[in-house]
Amino acid sequence: MSVEASDPTVRGGAWRTPRVAAPSRAAAWLLPAASALIGLALWEAAVAYFGLPAYLLPAPSAVVQAIFTYRSVLISQLAFTAFAAAAGFAIALVLGIVFGAAITASRTVDRMLYPWLVISHAIPKVVVAPLFIVWIGFGLKSEILFVVVFTFFPIIVNTVTGLKSADPDLLQLARSMGATRWEALTKIRIPTALPSIFAGIKISATLAPVGAVIGEFVASNNGLGHVLIQAVGSLETTLAFAAVFVISVFGIAIWYAAEWVERASIPWHASQRGGSNTGF
Amino acid sequence: MSAIRLDNVEKTFSVGDGELHALGPVSFSIEPGERLAIVGPSGCGKSTLLRIIAGLEEASAGTVTVDGRAVTGPLAGAGIVFQRDLLLDWRSIIDNVMLPTEFRRNAGSGSRTRARALLDELGVGEFAERSPWELSGGMRQRVAIARALMCRPAMLLLDEPFSALDALTRDQMNVVLQRVQTAEKVTTLLITHSIQEAVFLSDRVLVMSSRPGRILDEIEVPFPQPRRLAVREDPAFAEIARRIRLHFERTGVLVE
Repeated sequence: MSVEASDPTVRGGAWRTPRVAAPSRAAAWLLPAASALIGLALWEAAVAYFGLPAYLLPAPSAVVQAIFTYRSVLISQLAFTAFAAAAGFAIALVLGIVFGAAITASRTVDRMLYPWLVISHAIPKVVVAPLFIVWIGFGLKSEILFVVVFTFFPIIVNTVTGLKSADPDLLQLARSMGATRWEALTKIRIPTALPSIFAGIKISATLAPVGAVIGEFVASNNGLGHVLIQAVGSLETTLAFAAVFVISVFGIAIWYAAEWVERASIPWHASQRGGSNTGF
Repeated sequence: MSAIRLDNVEKTFSVGDGELHALGPVSFSIEPGERLAIVGPSGCGKSTLLRIIAGLEEASAGTVTVDGRAVTGPLAGAGIVFQRDLLLDWRSIIDNVMLPTEFRRNAGSGSRTRARALLDELGVGEFAERSPWELSGGMRQRVAIARALMCRPAMLLLDEPFSALDALTRDQMNVVLQRVQTAEKVTTLLITHSIQEAVFLSDRVLVMSSRPGRILDEIEVPFPQPRRLAVREDPAFAEIARRIRLHFERTGVLVE
């Protein structure tokens, strides 16, 4: 049996090419960039060749032009969307961590909340979004609530997993050193939970703008979601593409911001050390 | 008065419907400043015994007294080293050593200077500001020993502390431990399954049987401390090791 076959970490598959055989640093961004350019060029060419009308599929150049033309509208509407996303995410973060901690601390709370959590996650949220208007009216409040509902699940689940995953031997050691329950929580359990909580935060943070846009589809006269639905409704597909582009760039920025915070907060964690001289 | 005294200590675990008699009855005592080693096969309940003494687990029967007081909860004044070093990845080496001082029970019981001195004594002073993952297994275990000694415990409880290390590192750790024991004048209980280690590191060896663990023999180790590794080649040392091995052969733990 070869070493490769017996080692589960090797069998897991190389998601990064081994350093030794890795192409040069430039290729690391040249290849994806080239691939993206080729894709855009094909798209542009297809639109021209088949003479597709802009309402069906706008050429990338037209989208770029639209972004430039509508830049002030897009930016001001992005501000609405970003605010709703940020407010909703902040509430979800607090709720998720508090409920996560409560579930970890008490079996009763765990058993009582569990079915509600599963149900709330299973319900297709887009379908119930219109109900929010019925309950709390049209506008920002509904939209923020929708973001909360859309994003709290990953945070709560990852908080619970993280708080429960403290090494039992480590807790035992802390006990032998005279740690109180509270001290064990702050010195052992919470630091252990952070990587997992950050995993939840990253998922939820990128879901937040998506949730805000969906919220704006149904419950708002503002924001990029509203722009999008208006543009599609009036067959201004180029503007719709421009709005989608801006939302996507925003989402990507959020992702990297979350990664940055994570790196700054848990530099000690294996996922952040980077010095993976393991050959993967 | 004995530092630690056990009277007819037993432990049974409930397993499914039945009961598993894991340990005892066991009676012995450790004098202040003494170095006692308990050697026994895997699963003989010797780790359970250590945890009962440390107050991390309750005996099913019998009594444990430390300095004349019955043990009812986690023992203050005991430093424990487990087989795994259990260092916290999110703390530097020196902050790991400082950990026990941050718990209320030990408030004000150690300074950074003390932590630094311990790390120096254990030969890892240069790594004080480094992170655990940058250190080898042997170095990490030295840090774990420093952490156990941080609050000047009256006794050191060692639960197979070097089992995960390679043979050479293990020899080195034996020397290091012996040096620090002398410097810190600490009563020591060492649990191990290495006959050689037990004899080298102790004034007295207790030999335990397989489950339910009982004490088969008690052997004084006459060599003065500190000892050189070469003492292990001494005929008297070999005789003690042979006597322990014969117990394991007689009871079927070792079969040739």
